[in-house]
Amino acid sequence: MTNVAESVPVSIADLLTIACDRIAPTWPLDQFIAVNPYWGWRGRNITDAAAALSVLAGTELTMPRSWFRSERAAGRIDDHQIDAVATLAGDVGLADLVRAVLDQPSGVGGQGHDDTRAGHHRAALITDLCDAGSGPRRGQTWTNLVIHQISQHCAAHFDHEQGSWHPSPEGCLFSSWQNLLATDHGIPWRRGKSWARSQLALLEDDPNAAISSMLDALGIPGAGRTAYLTSLLLSVNGWAAWCAFNRFQAGLSGGDNDDIVDLAAIRLAWEWLLLGDDDGLVGSSLLADWAASWTDVPSRSAAVAADQQVDWLLQAAAERTYQADIITGLAHAPMVAIEPPAVQAVFCLDVRSERFRRSLESMSPTVQTRGFAGFFGMPISYTPVGSALTRPQLPGLLSPALNVTERSISSAGAAGTDGPAEARAALAAQRSARLDRRERWDLFRSAPSSVFTFVESTGLIYGPKLVEHSLANDHSAPRWENEGLSKRSIDSLRVGLDLVDDDPAAAAAIAHGVLRTMGLSSGFAPIVLICGHGSHTTNNPHAAGLDCGACGGQPGDVNARVFADLLNDPTVRQHLATLGIDVPATTWFAPAIHNTTTDQVTIFDTDGAPEALLPALDQLRQWLEAAGERTRAERSASLGLGHLADRPKQLKRAILERANDWSQVRPEWGLAGNASFIIAPRQRSRHMDLGGRTFLQDYDWTLDADASVLTAIMTAPMIVANWISTQYNASTVDNQRYGSGNKVLHNVVGGRIGVFEGNGGDLRIGLAEQSLHDGRELFHRPLRLSVFIEAARASLDSVIADQPIVHDLIANGWLHLLRIDPESGAVERWASGGWLTA
Amino acid sequence: MYLIGSIAIPAWHSVLLLSPALVAVAAVVVVRFVGSLRSAWTVARIASIVMMAAAAAAIAVRVLAGVRSGWLVRADTLGVMMLALATFVGWVVVRYSQNYLNGDPGERRYIGRLLTTLAAVCLVAVANNLIVLTLAWMGTSLALHGLLTFYGHRHAAVGAAHKKFLLARCADACMLGAVVAFFVAFDTFRIDGIVAAAASTSSLPMSARIGIAFVGLAAILKCAQLPFHGWLIQVMEAPTPVSALLHAGVVNLGGFVLLRFAPVVDRAVETRTMLVIVGSLTAAIAALVMTTRVSIKVSLAWSTCAQMGFMLLQCGLGVWEMALLHLAAHSVYKANAFLSAGGAVRDTQRRHLAGSVLAPTITTTVVATTAAVAGIIVVGWVWSTLPFGEPLPASVWVLAGVVALAVVPLVSPLSGAAKRLVQPATIAAAVAVPVVYIGLHEILGQLVPHGAAAPLGLLIIVAVALAATFVVQSLCMIKPMGTVVQRLYPWIYGGLFLDETFTRLAFRVWPPPTPGHDPSPLPRAASPIVNRTPRPQSEHPPIARIQHAPISIGPVS
Repeated sequence: MTNVAESVPVSIADLLTIACDRIAPTWPLDQFIAVNPYWGWRGRNITDAAAALSVLAGTELTMPRSWFRSERAAGRIDDHQIDAVATLAGDVGLADLVRAVLDQPSGVGGQGHDDTRAGHHRAALITDLCDAGSGPRRGQTWTNLVIHQISQHCAAHFDHEQGSWHPSPEGCLFSSWQNLLATDHGIPWRRGKSWARSQLALLEDDPNAAISSMLDALGIPGAGRTAYLTSLLLSVNGWAAWCAFNRFQAGLSGGDNDDIVDLAAIRLAWEWLLLGDDDGLVGSSLLADWAASWTDVPSRSAAVAADQQVDWLLQAAAERTYQADIITGLAHAPMVAIEPPAVQAVFCLDVRSERFRRSLESMSPTVQTRGFAGFFGMPISYTPVGSALTRPQLPGLLSPALNVTERSISSAGAAGTDGPAEARAALAAQRSARLDRRERWDLFRSAPSSVFTFVESTGLIYGPKLVEHSLANDHSAPRWENEGLSKRSIDSLRVGLDLVDDDPAAAAAIAHGVLRTMGLSSGFAPIVLICGHGSHTTNNPHAAGLDCGACGGQPGDVNARVFADLLNDPTVRQHLATLGIDVPATTWFAPAIHNTTTDQVTIFDTDGAPEALLPALDQLRQWLEAAGERTRAERSASLGLGHLADRPKQLKRAILERANDWSQVRPEWGLAGNASFIIAPRQRSRHMDLGGRTFLQDYDWTLDADASVLTAIMTAPMIVANWISTQYNASTVDNQRYGSGNKVLHNVVGGRIGVFEGNGGDLRIGLAEQSLHDGRELFHRPLRLSVFIEAARASLDSVIADQPIVHDLIANGWLHLLRIDPESGAVERWASGGWLTA
Repeated sequence: MYLIGSIAIPAWHSVLLLSPALVAVAAVVVVRFVGSLRSAWTVARIASIVMMAAAAAAIAVRVLAGVRSGWLVRADTLGVMMLALATFVGWVVVRYSQNYLNGDPGERRYIGRLLTTLAAVCLVAVANNLIVLTLAWMGTSLALHGLLTFYGHRHAAVGAAHKKFLLARCADACMLGAVVAFFVAFDTFRIDGIVAAAASTSSLPMSARIGIAFVGLAAILKCAQLPFHGWLIQVMEAPTPVSALLHAGVVNLGGFVLLRFAPVVDRAVETRTMLVIVGSLTAAIAALVMTTRVSIKVSLAWSTCAQMGFMLLQCGLGVWEMALLHLAAHSVYKANAFLSAGGAVRDTQRRHLAGSVLAPTITTTVVATTAAVAGIIVVGWVWSTLPFGEPLPASVWVLAGVVALAVVPLVSPLSGAAKRLVQPATIAAAVAVPVVYIGLHEILGQLVPHGAAAPLGLLIIVAVALAATFVVQSLCMIKPMGTVVQRLYPWIYGGLFLDETFTRLAFRVWPPPTPGHDPSPLPRAASPIVNRTPRPQSEHPPIARIQHAPISIGPVS
């Protein structure tokens, strides 16, 4: 047996690398950005990956067939498209097969997922074998017990916020787990506690070595080891994703982190221990068959893939049906020359901006809107003045290059006539004293010997608080980052890059790069609105998921203000001019934030606006208010407020009350519904109602001869959009593994790490059911992202050829790439290396 | 003294006291037949407001007309306060649930169960008949069971609710025992009659001692005291507002029932001893376990467990006014804490603004503790010299000692920056806390009778338990890596493994039911099908070596 393992030349470290790379990271709740949970599979065709995932984890990448049936009944799957996808698959006869499947009566077999689906393919683990025998206790399964024990231990190990008493941080996750399990008196070992302790003592300290010897002991053949390890990690996918995040973060700063290897060792150790504890398994032929079966994973996957072919055809047909309207719309763009704009408003490419932009454009033909990543290219982290907090304000894949903080701009700052540095220091001291007081009070509230007195002396205060929280209110949200600052000092603070003063040339170089990628290097309007976005929800653990993902799951106001401040600086503008971008002295960049929950837009720092622009600014404010009204009316039905659609005042109030409602589980729909990405000048889509389902990025191919901007867009915003779209899809098709379950059971872990659904179980990642489903039907219909790009074929081909990640996503079917012909507006699709008429 | 000023209750007043429960029951019926869900919720909300209004009216009548009682209900201060508390929490929870559960397939079922639970709690609050009290308390638990298993497809929900079910039935049996024992002793089912009879005897008859011991045991079981606490920790498998209701309005009924029997408890030293020992141990251990918990709701549940222990030990010490304060203050505090548990992430972000405080040292802890204790002695002494103040009884001095240890974090120099060693504002808070504490003690002392002085032994138990908690807590902060703290950790982290043992035994007696079907609207993956039919064992098991030498390459040396 051991010869098999030795005959495989791959080292255990390499096997582990392959297995661990399959797990995508998950970000903590305070920076909850979207992640494509299948990221580690992008190198394989999506259908192969789906089949492999089905065998290794029992997960599916498509909806049940009953859902496709109802989609077809609702006209969202066109029969012509079924023919088209069958033809594309090279077998017209498949269309009949697909239709036959659809025509079967719905509801056969429970949820209707029918025969081919769901978990039946999944390879069994030792925990499953044990559960098929007798559980640890009546009514419990070994699988649940193992996941619970690992999950609680990981939480205790990684927690810095919730508990105040932790296991020793010395040593790795694996060794602390061994220590804790050895002292655990709650596991119902058949062979007794001391047996388990002696077994644990046999394990090597080094997780790699321990994994290697346990695999030997289990008799897993060399060729099956990667699959087995991957399957084990997928069985604790939540914590595996957290460990993957730790590794990813370490990688950003050039380090490494092996938590995920420790986790694999822990999960494997449970298998090994349970095997030894189960008299019926040890040495049985069942076990030998089981161990040998791990080499069959590829052939079993192939069989599953064949079963799933119908599902993928249905999926593609649904996607093509969705694309059809957009394709027609794009071809009919009027492409009228723009009047000289009175306002240029730059929004985040987020799908929620689409609605608002459409409403704002309808106010006047002189309003031009543009789409760009909402961090506005600012590679920053943000430290609220006088605080210990520093957080990234840029996409999660990047690491910040500069730090920004607030400075006092008024001469009557906290420290009178002192210089800015002294004023900042005084403010910081004042603030940290206040925060320190709060900290002590928190300790008084939570220390074991204080809690009784805390409740008795202050508990009754919570009576009035309960009333206050229960009654509706329409206040706007205070910015929590300002806690500990007085109202006066908040007004006197302005966030900005120190680089603007210290090295205006370098600052101008940053601005130049951003403006060029934005396609905004000439023709500036008098007011250029730089509009980031953020959300306003209450009592919501996943609040950051509704903020700007491009800003690392934070509101984008900091980035908008920093960018506008940079561009409004006269010295920077001089340097910009030397780089070829001439910003007229009459142009003012106005930083703003779009509250996506309430559709209110707030403009900041208007005290810096030129006198002459004030009337135009007032006009803009009116437009923004009216656009907000329109957008709210459009969203009202989806929020269950359709009856208020014609009553703007009441609707606004109702939506504000929702935002402040501590019991609201659907304050806004976030990016649910997202399905496409249009990378083109706005004229191409300005006439279309895209229903808040489309990411919009402005791109003018004529200004991009070397395709460098296109490369930047396809390697950054397009990937971010893929992550978002896939997160929503994965949370929908397998909410148990890639979604976070029922929001009413959410239980925040470690203050920020993630949530449990209920009492325990695995760490839950992804989106809650309530963020995808309105209680009656799916609000997010899982469609792979359709990316429409207006560019020359050659440019697209060169980017696809040069960028492996882009190539993987497109060629392996993780997203659809469609090209808009700049001349005709006709659309063609990328398929197997060539372009076909769509 | 309970009967002083008590007169026969007129029928209308009985109806007023019963009206919250009746309104809730009526609403349950209406909700079942009303058309849309939206109107069902409207019915529930209106009912909860009417219930609150009725409770307010009951308070007003109590103030104007004095204590009245009859064979079924009693209008006394404690009862109407409990009624007000229950209906208030009910109103908050109903309001919260409407949006929170929007779209859930079981909404209508939820409304019915919620209102039934509230009806039962309201009946417990006003009952003056021990049989009715027993049945209402049992009804509370049964209706709540329907809420705890609202997601009946969840293994953990079913298991935890099952544990609660077993314990609650044991508690019901205790209460039935109490009914019999008290009837044997005093020939009445009227609670005020039992209390008056007990107060008039020079020493309690044995049957009454047994009766009150049964009540004490029922309270311990229903207040989730160690080692019967597991279910309370594990019922986070129900929607958040159910947890809020459970922690704010149901689990504390044990304390309420003891308050009802306060004069009897005062005369039964064995019941007092039981309450003090169980309460002190639970308070001390559960408070420490709380600090090792990793999730917000479970941490809150351990906190409730500890708080209930503290409330029971106060009952045992006879400081009834503080037990009442604890019951009410904890109720609203914990309801708020659960309902706003989703804000845990924002709280973390806020804490990140402040950064980490430096750990205290032995010196700073000793200085702060000395200062706090000295401060409490001064405050207590000043209080007793004030014209309206009076000397504090010994049991209150013990609790004042607890207050002193509690304010240590407020006066302890925690931060690294030397200039922030002393914060005048927190020192002021540290002074304000005991003042408020003693003030509330005095105010509530007017509402419920002072208990009999506690035996010295009981005071010592409480003092030792809470001092030990303080010492462990301080050690954790001063030397988190020390041997003691690290040795202790697995035990505290495991909750002394009490629940595992209890569960194993309990499930052996009566296994939990099988979970139901998952109603989720989103697709679910099924478990793999594993066939474990034993194939005939081969003569040479391929990896039989597992049995003998699990890993041949262990620590060889």
